[in-house]
Amino acid sequence: MFASPDPSIYGVGAVKSLSVSAVTYDWGLVWENRDLFWWGTVLALQVSIVALILSLSFGLVLALGRMGRKPVTFFAAAYINIFRGIPALVSVIWVYFGWSLLTGYNFTPFQAGVIALTLLYSAFFAEIFRSALMALPPGQSEAGLALGMSRPKVFFFIKLPQATKIALPNIGNMYIGMVKDTSVFTVIGLVEIVRVTQNINSITFQPFVLFTTAAIIYVFLAFGLDFIFRTLEKVLSTPTKGLIALTITSRRTARINSLIHSKEVALPVSSEKN
Amino acid sequence: MVELHGVRKTFGTNEVLHGIDLTVSRGEHVVLFGPSGSGKSTVLRSINLLEVPTSGSVKFKGVEYGPGIEGTPKPQRGSALDLRRSIGMVFQQFNLFPHLTALHNIVLPLRSVRKLSRKDAEEKAAESLRDVGLLKWAGSFPAQMSGGQQQRVAIARALSLDPEVMLFDEPTSALDPELVGEVLAVMRRLAVGGMTMVVVTHELGFAREVGDHNVFMEEGLVVETGGKSFFDECSHPRTRAFMGSVL
Repeated sequence: MFASPDPSIYGVGAVKSLSVSAVTYDWGLVWENRDLFWWGTVLALQVSIVALILSLSFGLVLALGRMGRKPVTFFAAAYINIFRGIPALVSVIWVYFGWSLLTGYNFTPFQAGVIALTLLYSAFFAEIFRSALMALPPGQSEAGLALGMSRPKVFFFIKLPQATKIALPNIGNMYIGMVKDTSVFTVIGLVEIVRVTQNINSITFQPFVLFTTAAIIYVFLAFGLDFIFRTLEKVLSTPTKGLIALTITSRRTARINSLIHSKEVALPVSSEKN
Repeated sequence: MVELHGVRKTFGTNEVLHGIDLTVSRGEHVVLFGPSGSGKSTVLRSINLLEVPTSGSVKFKGVEYGPGIEGTPKPQRGSALDLRRSIGMVFQQFNLFPHLTALHNIVLPLRSVRKLSRKDAEEKAAESLRDVGLLKWAGSFPAQMSGGQQQRVAIARALSLDPEVMLFDEPTSALDPELVGEVLAVMRRLAVGGMTMVVVTHELGFAREVGDHNVFMEEGLVVETGGKSFFDECSHPRTRAFMGSVL
């Protein structure tokens, strides 16, 4: 009754269990198909990380455009308001199926997923960056300018690091949303977590077991990402907080301490002068 | 060294400077004082073009940086970037960069403006901190320091770039009374060392002590100026009234 599946449609490896039971809950399925779940998770993270990097960059450009002069600020505002309102599902179908009809160019599911997420989330990141940049006191850039720094340098070395620190909790939140949004890319055949789950389910009929597993994977991802972003926040906090953050910044601390020591030793020579 | 002529500044429809003339010679200590809103900070900020005058001449070492005087031919202008590289400024709110340690607050401009290597910049920054007595605080962040310490770092930061003129915009106004002294001590040492300084301050005691050229301003105009003995000899009724209420 069940034809042996063509392993290639599952992306990686083959489904290992074909036990059919509607009554019992076959939790063993999860372990048997751990490879598939693992690679589905990896693919979801890959798509979302590439999209995160692209949408942070594009979002920053949009934020600057939004804070800029007349025609530019209008286009940036229009982009932000349009793309904030489009659901991921609509976006990815539009990119994957719509654009290929329009242009004749076919994106791979991976590319389509990255583009779809970038289109949407750059609009969110633009607003996050804009509010963070506007939260900085004007004295910060004035101090940089008064020191003779050029405007681009003031932006990259003074404003952007501080704005990033302010924006980081929101960026982390958004990124968890991005990872979850990769689940809709099952419709274009991207073999991410939900696609893997559906594939296994279609021959084993264990939706409770399998989708519980999928949910647990997403929850674990959210926990892990939250931990990573919290650590980043601690690294950027001043003074640095937490063991991991202190370890990461320990080289800077050591450098400064040795510098203090070397200059203290040299002190008697020049202190006579003062 | 610094020459302002007919400097006017308008914010919206409100003219806050009605034509200011000010000359600062090398090694001179100019003190600007007067009530809030008199335009003294705006004058100071015009010198390094943090405020670009609506009209008027801002000359530094003979080079025009301002928009020029109306009716005269457009002058050859220097860039604000070049001007600011010769002029240091200290702010009322310190404006240290909170994401950087005291040391790296000084390293950043040394590297990006003076193009020093990381090692040279760190050495020089540490020496600047040592000069204001804060070497031990090199690894601290601004949030971990007192206001007086922060302001001394800000002074060290400006001085590390070897400016020819130092501008001080109410450097002690945001400090606890107890902490004013340590900042004034650093400024006093700088003045004795021959630095050209323009200081906006309410510390008239300090002004009396170091001010070679004292300027009393009110409502966007210079009311009265004088030399060392200005505080005893000023004659304008507004100046005397202001002194009486402050001292």
